[in-house]
Parts: sequence; C-alpha cells; structure tokens
Amino acid sequence: MLGLTWLAGLLRRRTGRMIGQAAGVALAVLLLAALGTFFTASRASMTSQAVRAVPVDWQVQISPGTPEADASTVVAAAAGVTASLPVGYADTSGLTSRNAGTVQTTGPGVVLGVPPDYATTFPGEIRPLVGAADGVLLAQQTAANLGASVGSTIAIARPGQSKTTVTVAGVVDLPAADSLFQSIGVAPGTTPTAPPDNVVLLPQAMWNTLFAHAASGTASTQIHVQLSHDLPADPGAAFTDVIGRAKNLEADLAGGGLIGNNLAAQLDGARADAIYAQMLFLFLGLPGVIIAALLAGVIASSGRERRRREQALLRVRGASPKRIVRLATTEAILVAIVGTVVGLIAATAVGRIAFGTSSFGATTAQGLIWAAIAVVFGLALSVATIVLPAWRDVRTLSVREAQASVTTGMGRRPVWARVYLDVIFLGLGGLIYWQAVKSGYQVVLAPEGVPTISVSYFTLLAPLLFWIGTALLMWRIGTALLRRGRGWLRVATRPFAHRLAGVVAASMSRQRRGLSRGLVLMGLTASFAISVAIFNTTYASQSRVDAQLSNGADVTVTTAAAAGLPAGIADAVSKLPGVAAIQPMQHRFAYVGNDLQDLYGVNPATIGQATSMSNAFFAGGDAAQTLQTLAATPNGVLVSEETVHDFQLQPGDTVNLRLQFASDHAYHQVPFTYVGVAREFPTAPHDSFLVTNADYVAQTTGSSAAQVLLIRTDMSPPTVTAEVQRLLGPASGATVKDIVTEQQITLSGLTAIDLAGLTKLELVFALLLAAGASGLVLALGLAERRRTFAIASALGAKRRQLGGFVWSEAAFVAVGGLTLGALAGWWIAQVIVKILTGVFDPPPEHLSVPWAYLTGLLVAVGAAIAVAGVGMLRATRKPSMAILRDL
Amino acid sequence: MPETLVRADALGRAYGGGGARVIAVQGATFTVLTGDTVALAGPSGSGKSTLLHLIAGLDAPTSGSISWPAIGDRGSLRPGPVAMAFQGPSLLPPLTVAENVALPAILGGQDESEATAAALDLLQMFEVDALADKLPEELSGGQSQRAGLARAFSGSPRLVLADEPTGQQDSATGGRLLDAILTVAALAGAALMVATHDASVADRLAAHWTMRDGILRTAEQACSA
Repeated sequence: MLGLTWLAGLLRRRTGRMIGQAAGVALAVLLLAALGTFFTASRASMTSQAVRAVPVDWQVQISPGTPEADASTVVAAAAGVTASLPVGYADTSGLTSRNAGTVQTTGPGVVLGVPPDYATTFPGEIRPLVGAADGVLLAQQTAANLGASVGSTIAIARPGQSKTTVTVAGVVDLPAADSLFQSIGVAPGTTPTAPPDNVVLLPQAMWNTLFAHAASGTASTQIHVQLSHDLPADPGAAFTDVIGRAKNLEADLAGGGLIGNNLAAQLDGARADAIYAQMLFLFLGLPGVIIAALLAGVIASSGRERRRREQALLRVRGASPKRIVRLATTEAILVAIVGTVVGLIAATAVGRIAFGTSSFGATTAQGLIWAAIAVVFGLALSVATIVLPAWRDVRTLSVREAQASVTTGMGRRPVWARVYLDVIFLGLGGLIYWQAVKSGYQVVLAPEGVPTISVSYFTLLAPLLFWIGTALLMWRIGTALLRRGRGWLRVATRPFAHRLAGVVAASMSRQRRGLSRGLVLMGLTASFAISVAIFNTTYASQSRVDAQLSNGADVTVTTAAAAGLPAGIADAVSKLPGVAAIQPMQHRFAYVGNDLQDLYGVNPATIGQATSMSNAFFAGGDAAQTLQTLAATPNGVLVSEETVHDFQLQPGDTVNLRLQFASDHAYHQVPFTYVGVAREFPTAPHDSFLVTNADYVAQTTGSSAAQVLLIRTDMSPPTVTAEVQRLLGPASGATVKDIVTEQQITLSGLTAIDLAGLTKLELVFALLLAAGASGLVLALGLAERRRTFAIASALGAKRRQLGGFVWSEAAFVAVGGLTLGALAGWWIAQVIVKILTGVFDPPPEHLSVPWAYLTGLLVAVGAAIAVAGVGMLRATRKPSMAILRDL
Repeated sequence: MPETLVRADALGRAYGGGGARVIAVQGATFTVLTGDTVALAGPSGSGKSTLLHLIAGLDAPTSGSISWPAIGDRGSLRPGPVAMAFQGPSLLPPLTVAENVALPAILGGQDESEATAAALDLLQMFEVDALADKLPEELSGGQSQRAGLARAFSGSPRLVLADEPTGQQDSATGGRLLDAILTVAALAGAALMVATHDASVADRLAAHWTMRDGILRTAEQACSA
C-alpha cells in the first residue's frame, strides 16, 4: 500500500524525474531492440540472399565411360536434390552463316543440348531476347558475330564429323555464362576462365542425334541440379552443409562424376560477410547501446541527491532499509515498464519509417526474442541505476549525511585515475592495433573452399580498450581542466558571465565531478556519432571507388567478341550528348607460364581522360609516373604483385606471354618488358591481370580490336547509357553499364548487410543520443540545482547573471565534449576501418568525413542545449516559493 | 528626515483555492522607515516568513498593496537595497563562505576583489572569518546561519530582513550574534526587521510587531488599541 502511495507521490511531485528516467531507459531499449532485430534479420537472410543469385546449384560433370542414366539416377536420389536435368556440351570448331551473299565464320565454340523443361527448372540461366524461347537458340554475342537472327540458317562444324545446318529460332542471353561453362575438376588458372565466344543451344533430342558419334573428348554431359534451399540461416553453416552434401554425392557416384559446386562458391563469399556483420554490430551498434545505458544511468543519478534526502526523511520516520529498497524497486519497475513499452513502440515505428516494416524484416520469433531481451535489459538498467544506488546509500550513509542538501562531490581522485588506468588502456589498445596493422592481418580469414573461418578476436580488444581508455581520459582531462585551470576558466567564461566570471569559474571548478560526467557522456556520444558517420561515409565512398573500378568509367561498353566492338562505335559515341571523353581499351587473355590472365591494352597517355587513374592502383603510389614509364616502353607490361612474386621479376626483365593471334586463333609467344606493378585497374579482376600498350598488342597479334569503351560523362550516366544502348541496337552483343547502377548493386551488397538501412538507423540514433546527452543531462543537472538557482535569484541574480552560470556550464560540456569526442571519434573510426578493412573493397586510402552530418550534429547538440538552458532560465525567472519557504 | 522604505496597505497573501485555501497574511498595513529596527514576533506558522518574503519582493501579494517609495519598484529591490537572511541553510554549495558573502555585492556590480575584501570584513564581524575558505557542506548549522547573515549585509543594503537569525544558536551565542547584527546594521545605516519567536531577541529591537494567524499588529496599532 505504501508502495502505491509512494508511486502516486512520485508521479505527482517528481514527474520530470520519472519522465527523464523512463526516457533514458526507452532510448536504450529502442536502440537495442532495433539494432538487434535488424542484425538478426540481416544475418538470417544472408543464406537466402546468397542462394537466390545462383541459377544452377550444382553442375555434375559425368566422367567418360559412366552411363548418363546411371549417374542421373544417383544424382536424383541424392539428399536435398529437388530437380536434376542432363545438359549436353559439345565442341564446335566454328560456326558459319550466309547473309546477303557474304559468309561469316566464327572461331571455336560450344553447342549445348538443353532439355525441354530446362528454362522453367533453371529460370536464371537462359534469358530469351528475340524470337522463340525454345528450338535452336543463339547466344546474343554469337548472333552478333554471325550477323544471324531468327530464321537464319547456320552451319555447325563438328570435329570428326561433317558440318550440319540448323535454323535459328531465337536469340538468348546467358547471364550466368561463367559458371555454365566452368571447367569442373580442373585446377584454377590452367584453362581459360572466360566463357566461349560462340554458343548454340539445341533441343536435347536434336543434340543427341547430332553429337551421338562425336569425336572422343569433344562431347560430354553434365547434370544440372537444383537443391532444396532449406539451409541454415548462417552462410558458414550453409556452406559446410552444401560441401558435405556434394562430397556425399561424389562418394555415391564412385568416380562417375565431379561436382561444380556453384552454391558452395556463392556461400563461400557470403560466410565472411556473416562474420563481418557481427563485427559491424559489435563496433557500430553495441557502443550505441552502452552509451544509451550510460545516459540512462546519468539521468537517474542526476536525481540521486533528492532521492537521498527523500530516503533520509523516510528513515527518520522509521522506514527500515529493506522497505526503502523496496520503494526504490517499485520506482525502478515503473520506470522499466514505461521505458520498455515506449522503447519498443518507438522501435517498431523506427522500423516502419526506416525499412517500411516494423519487424525490420525479422520473423515474429526473432522479433519476440529481441523484444524479450530488450525488456530484460530495460528492467536491469532501471534496477542498476535506481535500486543499486539506493541500496548502497542505505548501507553506507547516515541519515545526517543523506540529509545534507547538496554536496559538491569533490572527493579523492578515483583509484583508476591514481593508477593511470586510462593511459594503460590506451597504450595496450595502441599496442594491439600496431601489431595488427604492422602484420597486415585480416580480422576475418575465410580461405576459399576451407570450411573453417578464423576470426582474430584478440584484435577486437583494440577498439574496446580505446573506447574505455578514451572515456576515462576525457574524465581526467575534464577534471584537470576544472581543478587546475580556474584562471583559464575565468577567461573562457567571461563572454557569458561578465563580472561573475570568477564566481562562475569557482563554482564550476567545485562541481567538476558532475560537469566531467556530462563532458564524458557528451564526448562519448559525439565520438560514437562521428566514428559511425565517418565509417559509413568512408564505406559509401569506397563503394563508389569499387563501382568505378568494376565498371571502369562512368559508362562502359564491353563485348566478349574477339572481333571487338562494332566498327565506328567509338566515334559515334563521342558525338553523343553528355559524353565528355572516350577511351577504347583492349581486353584479351594471355598466358603467364600456365596461368591465364586478363590483359588490358591501353594508350597510357590518354587512358586517364575517360576514367580515374588513382595512385592506389599502382605500387609506388604514383599513377602518372607509372603510366609514363609504360608509355616510354613500347613492349612494357604492368603485372600484379602476385606475378612479380611467383616469377621473381625485376624491373626490366623480359616476360614472355602467350597471346591469341588473329591469323590462326592460336596462342603464340610474345616478349614483354616488366616495368611496374598494377594492383587495381578499371574493369580488371581483383587477382592477377596485365596492363600493356594497345599498339604493341595490335602489332603483335594482328588485331587492334578494342573490347571495351570507357566513357566519361558530364551528365547523368544512366541517361548516357540509354543513348549508347540505342546507338548499339539490341543485336550488337555489347553490354553497356553505368556507375550509378553498379554502385546501387555494391551498396545493397556487403552481400547481406543493408548498410544503407544500418546507416540511417545509426545516424539517427547517434543524433538522438548526442542531443539527449547534451540537452537532457544539462537540463536534469540544472534542475537538480534548482535550489541553488532559487537562492541566487533570491539574492538578486538577474536572468542574465543566472545565464552566466548556465551557459558557461553548457559551453564547457558541449565544446569540451564535442572537441574531445571529435578527436576520439576520428581516431576510433580510423581503428575500426583498419580492423574491418575486409569490409572495404578496395581498402580506403583515407577516411571520408561527412561534413553535412557533422554540421547537423552540431546543430542538434546546440539546439538541445539551447532548449535545456532557456527552459531552465525560464523556470528560475521567479524563485520557486516552494523552495524559498524551505529556506 | 527618515525616508519610507516600505509602505503596505491591507497586504494579504493566500495560498491554494477553494476548501484548501490558506491565508498566510491578511490586512497588513505598515510602514518601515530608514533606521528602523523592528522585531516581528509570533509563533511558528503565524505568517512571519511570508510577510518578510512579501517585503523583500520575493513573493507577490494576493490582496492589498505594497510599495518601496525610497527604493523604487519591485525589480530594483535586489541585489542591493533589500537583503534577506534565511532561516535555513541557504549558502550556495559550490562557493566558499567568502565567495557566498561577496556574491550579492558582485551581483550588484561591485568589483570582485573589492567585494571579497568587504566580505572578509563582514565575516570577521560575525566571528566566522576563520571559515572564509570553507565550503558550506563543511559548516555546522550555526556557522552556516552566521555566514548567511554576513551575506545579507553584503552590497550595502538599506533594509535587512532576518528570519529567525538566532534560531540555531544557544542563548549566549545568540546574544552575541544579535549584537553583531545590530552593530553591522547601525554601521551600514540599514533598517532591520527581525522575525523571531524569542522574546529576548525581540526586546533588543526598537519596535515590536506581532503576528498571529496571519494578522499583523504593529507597535502603533498596539498603542492605538
């Protein structure tokens, strides 16, 4: 009964305190529930997202001599197989077509035998473009090479057999050509990785008839398999599961077949992302939750003096310590209930606003689990911030001490300060960080194909130690400034306090504990907001670099045809509106020893006109110098670091590459001179590739054909893309891509973390926390000293003079906190970016600073402080009679 | 020629409304002249503190009127012309005793060093100069009250209102403290109004006013009755 009376009294008389405490708990609960649900949903969708991109899960290459029917039976019966269809692969030495009296002949290619229901079973593999979706189909590029279209008759040269003719029923695109034509069971790098230039798709029955007597080794059969996608949500577990199933099937086939495991390859890439998702939660999410909890603690502790006096009154009236703790528990439960309910409602609202769904994409069960965690957290937070201090006070303070109106809280320096724990933490963190960076490590190591993932948890200590060390150091700096820098404070507060500057400085100096607490909280929230914003901006900026690297330029036209892009296209494109510059580039393949690598033939003097040549692309960090050297050496070549290492190359060494000559389509040796190292290059793959002079390639191979056209635009890239596509026409076989679309793909990737959504969530929370830390803490701190202000007002202090106290304290907390927070935030962002370097592709050369957001942060903090300060001054304009009557 | 510092006519102050309405002061009519020393006697809860708050301009009347002819309007009362020494602890916690005492003078525009020097003199007169550098949390109730009285005389007030100034002192110390109050008030040329329920304190002051259930009876009113 007393509990209810007590609660009713608190709600009536201490409404502000109760609302403040509940708001603190609500913010922490909101942050935990929203981020937790978001990350769980992201992680759970990783496997399904990764799996969605795979058109054919397994390609089982039937070994020579194994009956297709037997292998098909074994495959169909394997665990998890939901569909399996045989596909014939036959080599052709060339295709021929006659058009208007001219004969077009292509180089070698592949003829596929496709079962009737293949397109419906594996919908992502074949995309009809023109004509029928079944019958004899030509790949888009092949149709372009032959100048063939629907109704054309083409001749297929069959090794060891006579030519046969077929009539084209449709033209198709093969979006997953790389995996469709992969070499199964062959060591990587020993065969060309590019899909064939020429592909014909025949109905299975026709293929069986035409290639029933194919020469040995020129025809084979694969069984394409679709698996049940009932896989573990975690890509790592799904990867292990799929690898296990494949091995099991290979064992069942007893040497009768090898599996090209497309699904495992896809999951292999996603599993490292799953770990990085956890890291992002740890580094970008959890600090926010902890700061929100600290904020709730500070809010609760700002009412501690008054609570002490209330408890002292109760003790005088005979309340036992147990009863006092029970009353505090009642208050904590009410605060927890209100805080968690408001926090959870806010979380669903945030989900709806930021993601369009109140569940953040999580299942009901996942949502309920996080809601339960948030409720427990809210309750624990309330108990920790309200009940524990009350319990400690009851045990340690006498009634007289508890009644003491206000203490300045200037005790001895805390133990951690005396043993320099902050310096020790920062030193240790620095040591771990230095060790990690020095050795060029990756926090997550997921070697390709190896089921286990290595995570260097020890390194994660570095940011943790930095966070704690920084918080303690901020406290040390704040208290030291206030204790020893009274002269400096007097000067600094003069603009607000005028003649009262000395008194204000003295007052602030003696309230150093409370002010330092505000400074630390402000600093931590600012550093959190700044580090998160810098990380996210750097990520977005790198995704632009990544998009530019993978796309090559603002707009890129590519073809896989050896004959290159249609003649005259470069000139035509250069005349289009919005095109600022163009550069043709050769894309060929060359053998370096037994390793087949991509080779790019460029004009080093002009390549930079159409695309950015970053210093980071080249070892030595000087793009201009490296390209100059290449231009000055006609047969010069830039190679990857891996190649330099593998072949022990020294600058000036001759490197003999084998390139395909136009005359006989065969690979011949061509001498090059090693002149430098290229780490990245527009459109190039991440591993090994070669960059050389286009003129030399043209001269030695007999073909100057360019397969890539790089375009710099001075208007919207997608608009230019549409124009270029219109110019090329549908049957050109060329692909046109632009940087904007490419970046959207990159940003929605990290393959599973919706970083854009995460960014929105975190940046908004960081703003809320910063505004809360500055405004709410200042307001509550000032409110707790209403009595002091009432006395000052009774002594005759005018509003302007009271403002001297208020604004000086606010300026110290805000300016000091933001300055220290900015330094700490920048440094922590640096550490997190280095540690999570695997998230970035390519790793950033420097951090990107989000000036607009930081300006917004300043405005939010300034506004919150202004509202708190003005509110307080309004409240003290007339001294409270309730307070004066007590004097 | 004495000036009229305070003039009140049918002054009243009530709190709350309806059935819970409490009348703290009603129909108080009086004047306070320069040089007056007035004892405001009466039991606890009789409305003495409320009347002092009204005179100090800390509270506004709900009926009647009050003015400060020789001083100005309500806004010009503090800091400076009218000062009040409170009954309970009222020193600002983060300031030392000397800083507390100097504060009204600084708020009134005096230079900080001059105000501090004057504050030290006042502390000496109230026999707490040894505590000048202490913080309020380090003082006893009596010491705190003396410092509060010293603060009331900071900034050369023309009228000092003291609410139970000897309430936390034993009789001997209280007597000495009253001596100090009267001496400092005389030196400063300030009128003095002391709310007390102690007859021995009231006897030391020139005029005796009494309050009972919110009704004031001044010396003149007592005589005319």
